Amino acid sequence: MRRSLGWAVLPLLVFLAYFFVWPVLRLLALSFGEHGFTLANYARLVRVPIYRVALIETFKIAALVTIFSVLLSYPLAYVIAAARPHTRQILLALVLVPFWMSALVRTTAWLILLQHNGILNSLLVGSGMLRQPVAFVYNLPGVLIGMTHVLMPFVVLPLAAAFRGIDPALVQAAEGLGAGVIALLRRVFLPLTAPAVLAGAAIVFMSAVGYYITPALMGGPAQTMLAQLIDFNIETQLNWGLAAALSVVLLVATLLVFAFFNAVFGLDRLLARAPAGGAGSSFADAERRHRGRRIAASLLSAPVLLFLIAPVLIVFPMSLGSSPLLTFPPTHLTFRWYHEFFARSQWMTALSNSLLVAALAVPAASALGTAGALGLHQLQRRWARWVEMVVVLPMIVPPMIVAVGLYYLFAPLGLIGRPWGLALGHTVLAVPFVVLTVRASLLDFDPVLAQAATGLGASWFVTFRRVMLPGILPGIVAGAIFAFITSFDDVVLALFLTNLRSRTLPKLMFEGVAQQIDPVITAAAALITVLTLVILGVGLAWSRRDVAPAA
Amino acid sequence: MSAIGQPLRLERLRKAYGGTPVLDDISLDIPAGCFCALLGASGSGKTTLLKLIAGFEIADAGRILIAGRDIAPVPVRRRNIGMVFQNFALFPHMSAAQNVAFGLEMRGLGRREISARVHDALALVGLNEFGDRMPRQLSGGQQQRVALARALVIEPGLLLMDEPLGALDKSLRQGLQEELRRLHARLGVTIVFVTHDQEEALHLSDLLVVMERGRIVQSGAPRALYERPANRFVASFLGECNFVRVGNAVGALRPERVRVGKSAATLSHRLDGRVEDVRFLGPSLRVILRNQDGEFIALVPADRHSSAIMPGQLIVAGFDPEDATLLEAGLDGEHVEVWGLATGESRGGNLAG
Repeated sequence: MRRSLGWAVLPLLVFLAYFFVWPVLRLLALSFGEHGFTLANYARLVRVPIYRVALIETFKIAALVTIFSVLLSYPLAYVIAAARPHTRQILLALVLVPFWMSALVRTTAWLILLQHNGILNSLLVGSGMLRQPVAFVYNLPGVLIGMTHVLMPFVVLPLAAAFRGIDPALVQAAEGLGAGVIALLRRVFLPLTAPAVLAGAAIVFMSAVGYYITPALMGGPAQTMLAQLIDFNIETQLNWGLAAALSVVLLVATLLVFAFFNAVFGLDRLLARAPAGGAGSSFADAERRHRGRRIAASLLSAPVLLFLIAPVLIVFPMSLGSSPLLTFPPTHLTFRWYHEFFARSQWMTALSNSLLVAALAVPAASALGTAGALGLHQLQRRWARWVEMVVVLPMIVPPMIVAVGLYYLFAPLGLIGRPWGLALGHTVLAVPFVVLTVRASLLDFDPVLAQAATGLGASWFVTFRRVMLPGILPGIVAGAIFAFITSFDDVVLALFLTNLRSRTLPKLMFEGVAQQIDPVITAAAALITVLTLVILGVGLAWSRRDVAPAA
Repeated sequence: MSAIGQPLRLERLRKAYGGTPVLDDISLDIPAGCFCALLGASGSGKTTLLKLIAGFEIADAGRILIAGRDIAPVPVRRRNIGMVFQNFALFPHMSAAQNVAFGLEMRGLGRREISARVHDALALVGLNEFGDRMPRQLSGGQQQRVALARALVIEPGLLLMDEPLGALDKSLRQGLQEELRRLHARLGVTIVFVTHDQEEALHLSDLLVVMERGRIVQSGAPRALYERPANRFVASFLGECNFVRVGNAVGALRPERVRVGKSAATLSHRLDGRVEDVRFLGPSLRVILRNQDGEFIALVPADRHSSAIMPGQLIVAGFDPEDATLLEAGLDGEHVEVWGLATGESRGGNLAG
């Protein structure tokens, strides 16, 4: 069994080399000129004020989002860590809401909540707290709200795990030596959770720098970020050289943070799973006595929780409102928008395109990812580290760069507008998730079981099929679910790799939201949310089926 | 550094977790400057009792008085109780000196005084050279000393220790026990020390409190408990013990009080058995006799006479009834099995096989 599976990583590596590394490198090379070496594109970035301003703006927004994510996460992570197991499960599920919600659905919901005649303004003006509606969106606050919302879980989860990892005896020792709440926070909690904060912040910053959808839809012209400029230079200016130079800047910034992360925490930290429930609740037990600090933290984190789940709360009521102006609360309930969703051919076509692409991408990513994880598992450590790095990169590199690179690769091949082209792109984005989840279940798998099977006379193939595969199947299914959601949720790749006929549901919604919100979008958003919940629910039920006690 | 030990008084303490009683009516007086060991198996409630005193748990009923004052309204951070934890609980992000300084900083002392007292405290535990080391750079024994220095530097009237030597290996433990005794003698602080190691408890304490199932089974001077256990539980918890019938009562008999061979012949209480095993322990031999009633353990001096004892031999053992402690009826009315001894009054030799 040993060594015989190392080759299984090859198909994945070949695939990533051709559909990820090669197109990205070619794009980067473009920045130095198509014919002969030149730095003209970079000179232009520095010279032209709008590019300089956008660069600064991009890093400013990313930094602010990082700071807000940390500030909002801190009390919430403490509350999660100090909660009883059951409550903790619920809180963690709520924190993950923005994670699982389709980016488009989320953004649509925020626009409906925050726009000039949106829900928040209606409430504030209606209650007399404001005279005039305030602009919450199409400006800096809009971008910060949208991005902090979706990126916050990256801080909350490791931070909650760090809090739970604090030995209650340390807290008791500090108290016994005379520390009050403030000394405890400053001298014990903050230093002990600092690594988790830093790790989460690095991930948030890395993701924020390359963000596209949220600033494009929720920001104003002054909040133009790098990814938007890349898009603008390709779609409108047709200036590939400049777009490539912008991509290099974006990629270098991202990879620098990634390198820092990798050096300080190692990849394992990035691949770590969410904190497990159940066992090791001693931090929670010890904190239970401290009603004062638990109540204070709960008061601080209640608005944060509301912030996290607000979009999902309004999706369903809005989709049932009768007014095409999306007023709130809905005056009249109707299924009209659902009806139109299913009646209009553009929506139905987009839905079937999305499902078709997912149907191609999910099996491809699952197969490549599973084989890759099996191979990776048996590689020698020094090789595995490098392979791991390459495999994780599609999660790190901003999707805009992948999209432009693949556009450049596929255009001459006639793959633009074909479901295959987009499915290949989605496979690139999704395959790291499959590798990670399968890898995790392989690490849990006891190799002695395979030896036992071999000892009982099973060939390696039979051992794999009868013993190993059932062991790692939960990892494969979880990876497939991730892959489906990645594919079904993608906008950026679809923007470049599809045309009017082959556009997917998120792309259609994106176009709709970017202009004026068509009420049918609310029905689409509600349906996508239901679909996501069903898939997650089925996955969860399936993964728990063995655990459930026989009645 | 000096600490004036304070007396501790526990009055009818009760504590239950979800309906299960963990501490049941605990009352105890610990005089100032006393080294008190709480001894019990895991689940006996000894650690919970310590947590109640420290303030990490709150009693359901009863009072805790330090120097005559009820400490219930005093928050943990104002109790001025030194605490040494099982796994030391050193702050991993602070150096040894910073760990020791922490409690002084919380008391708002000036920088110069803090540094002087940290220096003294580290000197007291022999770690002057190690102040700059981080906890992970220290050995287990050194970490233990830092924890001790950190607890003592605040000059507590009461020092609580939760199995403080449990995480260390045996040889290190004996060294630290000596050091602990020395420090106690020098500082005069009242110590409450939780352990499940009976040797450690016997060795260290002035007052030994044996706990079982949330109750104090017996308390007193270690020697008194060893020689005069109140019941079978205490008797067997504090070392090996034979249970013998003396008249109509049951007596606890330490193996070292048993005589074997010739020296047993003149004793009023005797039994016969076959030698099953002989173990050389250095100064003594551990001899296990067996007959149809079970095992009987004798600890005899390793001398000329005993060297003749061989497994398989039939041998006579005996004891002086003065050496056996008559027990109360078995713990909680539990049936106590004893050796059916042939006493001088009845007839010897019925066990010969």
